Amino acid sequence: MKRCTFEDRIDSYLLNKLEGQEKESFEEHFFNCPSCFRQMEERDVLISTIKNRGAWLFKDEAATEQRNWVPAWKRALSSFTPRQWATVGVAAAALLLVVFGVLPRFTGPSPQFVLSETEVVRGESLTLMSPIIDVKSVPAFFEWKSLGQDVEYKISLYNGGLIWSAVTRDSRIAVPEETRQRMLPGQRFAWQVRAFSARGTLIAVSSKVQFQIEPAE
Amino acid sequence: MEYRPPEIDLNEVVVKYRPVVSFKVKKSLGAQTPDWEDVVNEVITQVIEKVKKGEFRGESSIGTFIYTITSRRIVDHIRQKTKVLRSVPEPTPLPDPCKDAESRERARILAEAIQQLKPKFKEVLNLYYYQELSRGEVAQRLGISPRRVSERLNYAQKLLRKMIKT
Repeated sequence: MKRCTFEDRIDSYLLNKLEGQEKESFEEHFFNCPSCFRQMEERDVLISTIKNRGAWLFKDEAATEQRNWVPAWKRALSSFTPRQWATVGVAAAALLLVVFGVLPRFTGPSPQFVLSETEVVRGESLTLMSPIIDVKSVPAFFEWKSLGQDVEYKISLYNGGLIWSAVTRDSRIAVPEETRQRMLPGQRFAWQVRAFSARGTLIAVSSKVQFQIEPAE
Repeated sequence: MEYRPPEIDLNEVVVKYRPVVSFKVKKSLGAQTPDWEDVVNEVITQVIEKVKKGEFRGESSIGTFIYTITSRRIVDHIRQKTKVLRSVPEPTPLPDPCKDAESRERARILAEAIQQLKPKFKEVLNLYYYQELSRGEVAQRLGISPRRVSERLNYAQKLLRKMIKT
């Protein structure tokens, strides 16, 4: 059955919320619309009863009103209409589709990580091989996994601060005697290798591996 | 061509429109105003006279015609009242005891029915009709959508109608 468009104004009229032209046009309407008038008469009895006996009728509600407090987030969500909920649902589905369905197809070159203004790392890994655990004597070599031809490696050895640094195209390097003499038993060291391409671009950085030279007995 | 006013069954008009005119008069003057029924009778008399004189020419609906007469009569009544009250206050007649008892009984039955409603319906009637919050405010207070508020109000009234009939 088709609803009369004025039906929505019945409550506002009875609660004296209509004014001026709006009120007059509604009054003129109910003089012409038996359906609205019938509903209004019925609603008027309901509202009068509620107004006259409200204090008695809703005494329990007044007492429990405090307990029925609704959190702000729930109130915010509740203000969504079903249409808005549907829009949110469609948007979420589209987002999931893009993130898991479309984006993985467009995997571009390896990500680039900016270390400083001049250093850029492309996501290739550089694995250190020896020494990676504590050693009994001062190591004669440092060794790592090769990244192929035309790669230059820069090794750095730290003991608090940088104590030695060298460059090689090999995947291992001998520690100079002078440096070895500075590596005393019982001390902790860390070393790291950076790989550069033939054009001098940083292409990989190893993690910093720590080791200790066991103290002499 | 000679003008012929629309044919109106006056008895039918009076039966149909007396409650509508009464509603409007009571709403405008207040149901406690003792002479509201006199105003209604005056309006009905005026309507009959005007229709008989051919003043209703069918340019608007009969409803709008009666609405206009009712509104003017109410304005006149309020003006007269203001003049009378300025000179001598009129004694207030007692309300009709039969009618008063009848409407009181109807209100009592309805109130009892409201009392028996589930809390979710009672609270929506309380906030919307008693505390006069807007639909949006009621929705916020209860953590439901405004559409749900309307649905609950409609359903509560449907239940009350059913409870009162049985």
